[in-house]
Amino acid sequence: MGKYLKFLTLFLGLVFIGFFIVSVRLLILNPLLLSADQPGDPSRAKSFHYAFFMPSSDYSFFNSLKAGALDASDAMDCAVNFNSINEDMLSFEMASFSGIDGIAVFVYDNSPAVLSELEEISRLGIPIVQIENEAIIGSNAFFIGTNSFDSGKSIGRIALFAEKNAVHIALIYSEKNPGLMSDANLVEIGLKTTMGDRLRELSTGRTSLNPIDAERVVYDLLLRNPDTDIIVLSDMNDTLVAIQAIIDLNLVGQIQIIGFGEDETIREYIRKGVVLGSIVRNPYRIGYSAVMALKEISTIGYTSAYIDTGINILTRAEVERVHNGSLR
Amino acid sequence: MRRNSLWVKLLLYQSISMIIMVFSIGFILLNSLNLQNIAYERFQEEHYFQELQTDLSEIQKPLQDYLTGWSSSSLARLLFLMETIREKIPEERPILPDETELMKREVYFLIDAYLARVNNIIEQKRGRKVLEYTANYEESIKLYSHISARINSISLSGFRFQLKEYRGFLDLFRKIQYQNLLLVVIATFFAYALLLQMGQNITTPMFDLSQMAGKLSDGNFDVPDLHFRSINEVEQVASAFNQMKKSIHHYINELKKQKEMEQQIMTERVRNLKMEQLLKRMELYTMQAQMNPHFLFNTINTGVQLAIVEEADKTAEFMENLAKLFRYNIREKKFFVPLRHEVEGLKTYYNILKIRFPKTLKLVLDYDEGLLDRFSCPNMILQPLVENSVLHAFKKKNHTGTIMVRIVYEEPVLVISVKDDGVGISENLVKDLLTPHSRDYQLGPKVMGLENVIQRCYFLYPEHDDAIDIKTTQGEGTEIIIRLHTEVEPCIE
Repeated sequence: MGKYLKFLTLFLGLVFIGFFIVSVRLLILNPLLLSADQPGDPSRAKSFHYAFFMPSSDYSFFNSLKAGALDASDAMDCAVNFNSINEDMLSFEMASFSGIDGIAVFVYDNSPAVLSELEEISRLGIPIVQIENEAIIGSNAFFIGTNSFDSGKSIGRIALFAEKNAVHIALIYSEKNPGLMSDANLVEIGLKTTMGDRLRELSTGRTSLNPIDAERVVYDLLLRNPDTDIIVLSDMNDTLVAIQAIIDLNLVGQIQIIGFGEDETIREYIRKGVVLGSIVRNPYRIGYSAVMALKEISTIGYTSAYIDTGINILTRAEVERVHNGSLR
Repeated sequence: MRRNSLWVKLLLYQSISMIIMVFSIGFILLNSLNLQNIAYERFQEEHYFQELQTDLSEIQKPLQDYLTGWSSSSLARLLFLMETIREKIPEERPILPDETELMKREVYFLIDAYLARVNNIIEQKRGRKVLEYTANYEESIKLYSHISARINSISLSGFRFQLKEYRGFLDLFRKIQYQNLLLVVIATFFAYALLLQMGQNITTPMFDLSQMAGKLSDGNFDVPDLHFRSINEVEQVASAFNQMKKSIHHYINELKKQKEMEQQIMTERVRNLKMEQLLKRMELYTMQAQMNPHFLFNTINTGVQLAIVEEADKTAEFMENLAKLFRYNIREKKFFVPLRHEVEGLKTYYNILKIRFPKTLKLVLDYDEGLLDRFSCPNMILQPLVENSVLHAFKKKNHTGTIMVRIVYEEPVLVISVKDDGVGISENLVKDLLTPHSRDYQLGPKVMGLENVIQRCYFLYPEHDDAIDIKTTQGEGTEIIIRLHTEVEPCIE
C-alpha cells in the first residue's frame, strides 16, 4: 500500500510537472504570443520596400508572379506589397508619397494617366521595373519579361505543326497580357519570319480583363473569318475559354488552337490534339527577377535595362513524353 | 525545530500543497491576463489608426476655414492639429515583410506628404498664390482621401487578421481553460497524495509499533528492532521503543539470574541447616553416649584415684582411658581437627575396647607418622566407623575380628580406610547408606554413627561423589573409604 502510494504520488507529481510544462509550452509557443510570429515584430525589419502594381486578377500568372516576388523578398533584404493598378488607380498615383524604394508595374494598358504617372514617378527618381510591357523609357525605368519577337517566333514554330500548307491564323491579344499586346507588331514579325509563305492570312482580335471575354471574341472572329485555321490566344484563361467555345461550336479538328500558359487542362487538350501547342512563360521567374532587379538598383544603383525571362513551347510530343513518363 | 519533525513536515506538506494550488491558480490568472492583454494589444493598434483618421478629418475644417476666411483661430487650430498628428506618428518606420505593416508604413509617409502639402498651402495662401494653393488643396483632398482609404484598408485588413486570430484565440483560450482545469485537478490529487503519504509515514510506523508492543506483551523479546524512515517524533518513539524492549529484556534476564541465585542461596541454606542438624544430632549422640560428660569425667577420675588407692592397676588403666576418651569428646567441638587428635582419640577408644574384648578384637593402624601433623580431618570420623565395625561386623563371627585403619596420601587426596573382616553389609543397606539425604530426610535413631559420618562427608564435599565409599563382601568384611580432597576447601559456612 505504502509503495503504491509512493508511486502514485511520484506519478502524479510527474504528471503535474509534465502537464505544467505542456501548458506553459502551449502558451509560450502559441503564435498569438510569439512576438517573432507577429507581423509587427521589429526583428524582422527589412532595408527596402518595393511596391508591385498589377491588375487585380486572380490568374495563375499573377499568382505565380507574386509567389516569385515574395520568395525573392524573403531571400533578399526587402519587403514587397501588391497593389491593384486597374481598380485602385489612386494608390498608383500616390505611390511617390508612400515611402517606397521602387516599384514593379505591370501596365495592362498604355493609358495616358498611367503613362503620366509613370513619368512622374520616374522623374522623382523612384526606380521602376516594367513587367512584360515597356510603357516608358527612362534612366531609372527598366524592363523585365519575355521578348515579344521571340514569342511570335515560338507561335510560328507551333503553327508549323499544323498539317496545312497555307494557314489562316487569328491572333487574339489580351489586356491580361499587355506586353504582348503593346508589342503586337514584334509578335507578328516574329510569327511571319518563322512561317514565311505558309502564313496565308493573319487576323487579330483583343480580349479585355473580363475572364470570359474570349468566347465572345472567338465567335466574332469566326463569324468574320470563317476560314480561320488556327486561333492563337495570349492568355491562359482566354485559352481555356476559347477551347470550350471551339468544342461547343463542334469545330474540333477543323480549327486548331495555340494556347498560352501551362495548365493541366491545357496539357490534356494538347494530348488529345484539340490544342496544337502552348506558349509558356515563367511568371515565377519574372516576379523573382523583378525583385532582384529592384534590389540591385537600390544597392548598387543600376541593373540590366532589359531582362529576358525567356519562353518555352509545349507541344504534343512534349506532353506525351511527360505523360508516358509519369505512367511508367 | 528539527528538519524532519512532525511540525516541519506538516508545514512543508501544507506549504507544498498550498504553493501548488496557488501556483496553479496564479498560472490560470496569468494566462487569463495574458490573453486579455493579447486581445487588448490587438485592438489598441486599431484604435490608434482610428484616432489618426479622426485627427486628419479634423484638419479639413480649419484648413477650409483658413483658406476661405483667413481665420487666425482656424490657423492656430490647424497648426495645433498638424503638430498633434506629427507627434502621434512614429519616426522609426521599419520595413516589415507584411502587407498590413507595409500599408501602415505607407500611411505614415502619406501623412508626412499630406502635412507638408498643407504646410505649402498655408504658405501659398499667405503669399496669395491663389492658383497654386487651389491646385495644392485639390491634391491634398486627394491625398487625404487616399490616406483615409488606406487607413480603412488597414482597419479592414486588421479586422480580417483579428477575425482569423480570434478563432485561434478562442481555441487557445479553450485549450488553456481545459488544461488549467486539468492542472488544478492533478494538483489537487497530487496534494492529496502528498498528504496521504505523510499520513502513512506516521500511521504505518505506529501500526508496526503496536504490533511490536503486542508481541512484547506476549513475552516475545526476540522480535527484531524497528527501523523506518519517518518523521523525527515517530523515529524517536521507535528508537525509545527499541531501547525499552532491550531494557525490559535486560531487566527480566537480571531478575531471572537473581531468582536463580536466590534459589542457589536457598539450597545452600538448606544444606547448611541440614549440616547443623547433623552436627546437633552428633552432639546429641555424644551427649547420649556421655550423659553428663563432665560429671562422668570427674566421676571416672575419682574412680581412677580409687583404683590407684586400692592398687587395682587394670581398673585404673581402663578408667584413665575412659577419662581420656570423654575428655577428647568434650574438648573437640570444631568441624575439622588435626589428624593426630583423631588418631589419638581412636587409640584411646581402642584401649577401652581392648579391655572389653581382649582376645576377640584386633585393631591395626597403618599410617605415615608425618601425615598426622600435616593434614586435618572432620571431627569424629574414625571412632564412629570403628565402633560401627565393633557393634555390627563381628556379631556372628567366632574368630578374632580385625579392624584395619589405614591412612595414605594419594596426592592430592588423603585416603582414610577402615576395613574389617566381619560379616559384611547387605547391598540394600550400602545403597541406602550412600544415598545423600534430602532436606526432608529424618535420621533414624539406630544408625547414627556411620550414617552421620557418611552424610557429613557428602555435605563437606558436595562436589565429590567419591568422598565416601563402602566396599563390602558378604561374609568377608567391609571397607569404608573416605577421600578428603586436600586442595578443595570443605563446604563449611
